[in-house]
Amino acid sequence: MHENAMHMLTLAAADPIDHVTDKYLLKIGDTPILTMHMVTLIIATGIMLWAMWTAAKSIDTGPESDGNDRYITKGRFAQLIEAMVVYLRDEMLEPVLGKEHTRRYLPFLLSLFFFVLFNNLFGMIPVMDFLHLLGAHNTWIGGTATANIAITGALALVAFVLIEAHAFREQGVKGWLLHNFGGLVPGPILLFPIALIVFVVEIAGHFIKPTALAIRLFANMVAGHTLMAVLLSFGYAAVEAGMGTFGIGTITVVSGISAIVVTFLELFVSFLQAFIFMFLTAVFISLMSHDDEHEAGHEEDTVAHSEHQLATEMQEAVAH
Amino acid sequence: MNLWFLLAKSDDVEHADVMAMNWLPAVTSLIVFLLAFGFLAKVVWPKITKGLDDRERKIRETIAAADKAKEDAEKALAEYQENLVKAREEANAMIAQAKSDAKAAGEELRRSNDADLAEIKQRATREIESAKRSAITELHAEASMLATAIASKILQREISAQDQQKLVDETLGEMGRLQDN
Repeated sequence: MHENAMHMLTLAAADPIDHVTDKYLLKIGDTPILTMHMVTLIIATGIMLWAMWTAAKSIDTGPESDGNDRYITKGRFAQLIEAMVVYLRDEMLEPVLGKEHTRRYLPFLLSLFFFVLFNNLFGMIPVMDFLHLLGAHNTWIGGTATANIAITGALALVAFVLIEAHAFREQGVKGWLLHNFGGLVPGPILLFPIALIVFVVEIAGHFIKPTALAIRLFANMVAGHTLMAVLLSFGYAAVEAGMGTFGIGTITVVSGISAIVVTFLELFVSFLQAFIFMFLTAVFISLMSHDDEHEAGHEEDTVAHSEHQLATEMQEAVAH
Repeated sequence: MNLWFLLAKSDDVEHADVMAMNWLPAVTSLIVFLLAFGFLAKVVWPKITKGLDDRERKIRETIAAADKAKEDAEKALAEYQENLVKAREEANAMIAQAKSDAKAAGEELRRSNDADLAEIKQRATREIESAKRSAITELHAEASMLATAIASKILQREISAQDQQKLVDETLGEMGRLQDN
């Protein structure tokens, strides 16, 4: 047992990144057909669907026999979901998208939010590590699906398709092209080279925005879990450095407490990143709306405003 | 137990590179998300949206109904107060009218009583006078008869009707004088 434990410790300390990377579970020849993140993703999403369905039944108007009670949401979880939905809809999305677009995109944006949130939160549960403690070496469940760039990339692709579909629907092909010239075409012929540069930058922006979405979520999740692994590996580092019992104990307790604190931070980050993914998608949708207010100069203002709003909210959240 | 046990893992599985952009999880994620979105959009969000909308409508309706009820109550109260003032004024007017009517009726009654009284008095006086006269006449006749009888007895003789009349007249004259005295 002791040998086994030391073996595991050595592995753990070898590379904390291993803790967050995906694992190939099944292969046909050299082609992997199942990875751990795929299983985790499916399980977390299944839990999310079940939880949301349960909450929805409670939030929905009850039978008439309930009298006025039919309008009341019963159950703490359903109330929590309701509070989140109402807050996101009324305080976050409507000011950005307006009432009509909020109605249209709310199902997609909320699905995105809860999908990311539940996957982030499921990743907080150290399923793999508990199973290891119980003696299971090859676990199929574990890790954080959203700490996989392929998975966040796929979500960003969906967001990209929706944003562009919205842009073409709102502006038409001609409007979309003119929009990308930043209002310089039609304009003075001398400005045309600049308009071309703007066009290239704008087109690049169409791809950079969702890419940034994918990287932001992936990097936050990887960073959080890696930080946790690093903190917890300090104990082993002390052992390896040949410190005495007091030194090992002190370092283990301090790093353990730090890991607990970071766990709370991670919990917050799970919500925050889910929110940011959804909210920025909403902001990008709104930027593509055919609206006279959204002249080229205003886009940066809107993004800056959104970022400022986010920063303020984060500060408030941290302060609380 | 030392917490670093939690980091332990076996090395008999192949790890993917952390930056690896594998198509398999990507496609899985795409399919799972789209299926989840389909389910949520079809089953979950309509329920939640309906629940929230129903409640919002119910709250709006209830507030509107409460506002209307309050307005109606205020209107009814104002109307009631107005009616109360009007009723009080009418009652005061009626009381004043009744007082004045009662006074007038009292006056009328007194006047009519006075008249009746005067008439009764007059009639009584008249009847007394008449009774007095009739009594005097009866007395005259009675006295005449009596005087005649007395005189006959005294004189023991028959007197003529002429003498009798003369005697009566003298007697009556005598009685009249006596009465005057």
